[in-house]
Amino acid sequence: MAADETVTARRLRRTRTVDRVARTAGVAIATTALVAMLAPVLLTVLVSFSGDDFFAFPPESWGLRQYRELLESPLWGAALQLSFEVAAAVAALSVAIGVPAAYAIQRSRLPGRHALYAAGLTGMVIPIAAFAVALYGLLSQLGLRGTFVGLVLANATLAVPVVLIVITAALSRVPPTLELVAMTAGASRLRASLGITVRLLAPAIVASTGLAFVTSFEEAVLVNFVGGVEQTTLPRAILDSARFGTSPVITAIATLMMAGIGLVAIGSVRLLGRRR
Amino acid sequence: MLLVCFVGYPLVRLTVDSFSSGGLDSYRIVLESSAARHALVTTVLVAIAVALAAVAIGGLLAWYARTARSGWARAAIWVGLLAPFFMGTVTRNYALVLLFADNGPLNDALRALGLGPAPLLYSSTGVALGILYTMIPPAAFALYGVLLTIDDTLIAAARGLGASRLRAALTITLPLALPGLVAAFALVFAVSLGFYITPVLIGGAQAPFVASLIQEWVFASYDLPLAYAASVLLLVVALAIVGLALLLVGRRRLLRTAA
Repeated sequence: MAADETVTARRLRRTRTVDRVARTAGVAIATTALVAMLAPVLLTVLVSFSGDDFFAFPPESWGLRQYRELLESPLWGAALQLSFEVAAAVAALSVAIGVPAAYAIQRSRLPGRHALYAAGLTGMVIPIAAFAVALYGLLSQLGLRGTFVGLVLANATLAVPVVLIVITAALSRVPPTLELVAMTAGASRLRASLGITVRLLAPAIVASTGLAFVTSFEEAVLVNFVGGVEQTTLPRAILDSARFGTSPVITAIATLMMAGIGLVAIGSVRLLGRRR
Repeated sequence: MLLVCFVGYPLVRLTVDSFSSGGLDSYRIVLESSAARHALVTTVLVAIAVALAAVAIGGLLAWYARTARSGWARAAIWVGLLAPFFMGTVTRNYALVLLFADNGPLNDALRALGLGPAPLLYSSTGVALGILYTMIPPAAFALYGVLLTIDDTLIAAARGLGASRLRAALTITLPLALPGLVAAFALVFAVSLGFYITPVLIGGAQAPFVASLIQEWVFASYDLPLAYAASVLLLVVALAIVGLALLLVGRRRLLRTAA
């Protein structure tokens, strides 16, 4: 009996040691990873408040110089305006395509609707550089390369999957029987789907509009291939400027973008979460 | 249907054009050029390494986001995962350029420690780290969803029966999460293959990546057939891996991880 107890005690002690080592290692790796994830973010925010006209860390002086320069430069203003216009058009188009598509996938008995959903998502999981070349070729042949419409279509290929995911998930939580009840109560089919389902989906539709907007706003790869000189969106302007050297003004843009995208994204997710 | 045309048609057209514009010749040129072959191999190897690391690190962070008892720790993890995500593609890579720069804080710190400057800017390692930095949050989000489906009581039961925390994690959590890990690996791999901004900004002209070659062929030397062929090769590799994952874990799980 006594021997048994020592064996158990020894095993227990060993278990605890293993735990402690594994735990310390896990926490150490996770902490390092977290510090690494946050370092570029903190660096950007700090440098954006530098008063220098060149990159130095730590900055030699502090101030709002970068933000003032950003506001006064016509180049960044024009790029920002174009990005807004493109993103608004993309958001509208993606919702117009994505919501009916999600409805068809979720509610109809269409053969191959699962394949349709999978196909809708491929835009998110293919190598974007290859896809950009594909769009470059196609939009050139259609004469749409270097046009506003071409850029909107290109960005929509990335934004539609976002809408599709959000709306499909939201739709799966709206019982189809509600519509049937409305129809039994005398509502027309259109009225039932607009009055019940679309109204219940409204928060998800607003949220997916926000996420589609953000997707287009920060898109930086496709625009290089399908955009002409006039299609210099904000990310493209940053890329062009960054290629020719570093300028601390970009850190001010980055900080503002992080805040803006963060607000829209968190707001969208909040809106979705409220109904869960 | 419109949806399929939207994404599918450009890809089909790309493949057709890659054969009609240069025929098999452009593929031969790409595959026979040692620079292009080197770039292709580097791109694929970096994507594999990044996918493994992103799944491991993202999985670990997702695990702590799910199990950490301290609210502060969980909040810190979410901020660490979301802030880079919110920064936007170009600005995120720009932040890394500043971090990696010769007079940047990373090299200052390394010099202070006597480890010398690390030439991360304009190197394949720098590009790999940049891609990894971008892919950790999506990998973590996908795996957080996977971990949510695992029943806590199974782990509690294993620990109650005397298993160490590590043993419970390795014999209960890991096998249950394995299909999700495979799916996440395949998706991260496919996306990592196509990074464009990171090789161009962090890698510059020196680092051998397919994206840099494509940029050169499309914008500098106007060798479109070569760019088409290289793009199709990237697509084939990506589709092969995603297809393999599809066979291994099934459509449902792959879609769930992607969404």
